[in-house]
Amino acid sequence: MTDIAELTLKDLAAAIKRKKVSSLEVTKALIARIDKWQPKLNAFARVEAEDALKAAKAADRALAAGRAKGPLHGVPLAHKDMYYSKGKLAECGSKIRKGFVPTTTATAVERLEAAGSFRLGAVNMVEFAYGPTGHNVHTGNVCNPWDPTRITGGSSSGSGSAVGARLVPAALGSDTGGSIRMPAHFCGTAGFKPTNNRVSRANCMPLSFTLDTVGPLARTAEDCAIIMSIISGPDPRDPTTALAPKWDAKKAKRPAKGLTIGVPKNFYLDNLEPDVAKAYDVALTTFKKLGVKIVEVTLPDQTLVTAAAMAVIAVEAATYHAPWLRERPDDYGAQVRNRLQNGLTYSGIEYLEALRWRAHALEAHLATIGKCDAVLAPVSRAVAPTIADTDVGGAPNAEGVIQGITRLMRPINYLGLPTLVVQAGFGQHDMPIGLQLIGRPFNDETLAALGIAFQGVTDFHTKAPKLP
Amino acid sequence: MSEVTPERVAAIAAATHIPLPDGGAARIAGALSPIVARYVAEKIAMPLETEPSSFLAVQLKDAGL
Repeated sequence: MTDIAELTLKDLAAAIKRKKVSSLEVTKALIARIDKWQPKLNAFARVEAEDALKAAKAADRALAAGRAKGPLHGVPLAHKDMYYSKGKLAECGSKIRKGFVPTTTATAVERLEAAGSFRLGAVNMVEFAYGPTGHNVHTGNVCNPWDPTRITGGSSSGSGSAVGARLVPAALGSDTGGSIRMPAHFCGTAGFKPTNNRVSRANCMPLSFTLDTVGPLARTAEDCAIIMSIISGPDPRDPTTALAPKWDAKKAKRPAKGLTIGVPKNFYLDNLEPDVAKAYDVALTTFKKLGVKIVEVTLPDQTLVTAAAMAVIAVEAATYHAPWLRERPDDYGAQVRNRLQNGLTYSGIEYLEALRWRAHALEAHLATIGKCDAVLAPVSRAVAPTIADTDVGGAPNAEGVIQGITRLMRPINYLGLPTLVVQAGFGQHDMPIGLQLIGRPFNDETLAALGIAFQGVTDFHTKAPKLP
Repeated sequence: MSEVTPERVAAIAAATHIPLPDGGAARIAGALSPIVARYVAEKIAMPLETEPSSFLAVQLKDAGL
């Protein structure tokens, strides 16, 4: 059979279910691959090989006895090191939470495990999920599998690196300001930031209670949809999901023909590198061939939306961290401490103004996109820059480079919109390029439909990096 | 939102008992001033009745829920 690591989540789960391969064989193969790649990438915070092999054997026994748990039976996964699993370390990429062992399990993880998956370990992340590049002074920088001198993007750096390198078929990330979408773009994976309030955040490390979202990085849009179908929907432990609809699988599989994509006339297409602009144009042509209607849209001023987003995230992150900022400021990395202290800019009234305006900003956005099912935009103006060029402590123009590559992120978090990143080409230095399909509230399934259709006629998602 | 100055940042830090290093308030003011200025320039006016959870109402309305 095909190399196990090359199988998508969907195909891997199907192969285990049909007993073409055992869960134990899969787990051993992935551990062997991790052993080879980890020294180059630093994608994993820890590999729990012994426990994973036990879980794989148990999954094989259950399957043999006709007791398959669900659609992910026997599939090993590893998630960002901020998802709590009772009794397992969750250090959040930090010194401050070194040794932290939660007594609860994240709802998203519980649901994935109820569907049959089990834990292979945990993947690295930016300290407290507050950084866009993948640098981490405590756990070491995570490296891009396509070129280890380049960034993965953050903050779900390990999720992007591990999925991109085929060390796991999927991993949960989190997205408060682009932290699923950037690693997906830079590492050549798909990534799904759900509508805010669609997926439970219970028992995950928080950063911003207004803007945090939980979602997957995976090889394909279809794999992301599988994960979304399992983790979406109401959870009493996260009341913000009380009105969240469950995943509509039929809607996620509908044809793309007849759907409408908006092309933004402003902001998102400004100042792109030629390779990203070309990938965008080619993708538009592909969608047209699929029967998707393309219309131009003029969005409200996204710099204003970004400014509001920054007020919300800055204050909420500083609020969560205030006790440690008071008592253990020196235990943060300098860049993360600086970002947290930026929350001291805003008064209470200013913060609440930014929160109140969110409804009006979303109304304005929806009015400008009309009946569009999605807006197609680049994730970033360029492919992954180098780790050295984005080292805030060392490179002279690091802040400028970072601002350039993160510019297209924050409006989407503030507006709470679902977004799917799909691989759309390769650019300078043979680095991957992703594009983001930005949807309507609670219409995540439509993005899956568009992504699945796009990947049905393109092959960028099948390309894998070679061991550096 | 109003103008961000080092003095203002230092005052908020003092009020919240969060220590800042020497030059910290100036760094924050310098970094955040352009962003805050962009928001201030818009002079956003909202209906009195708007509250943060109005956002959820807009989400649900668009989704037909």
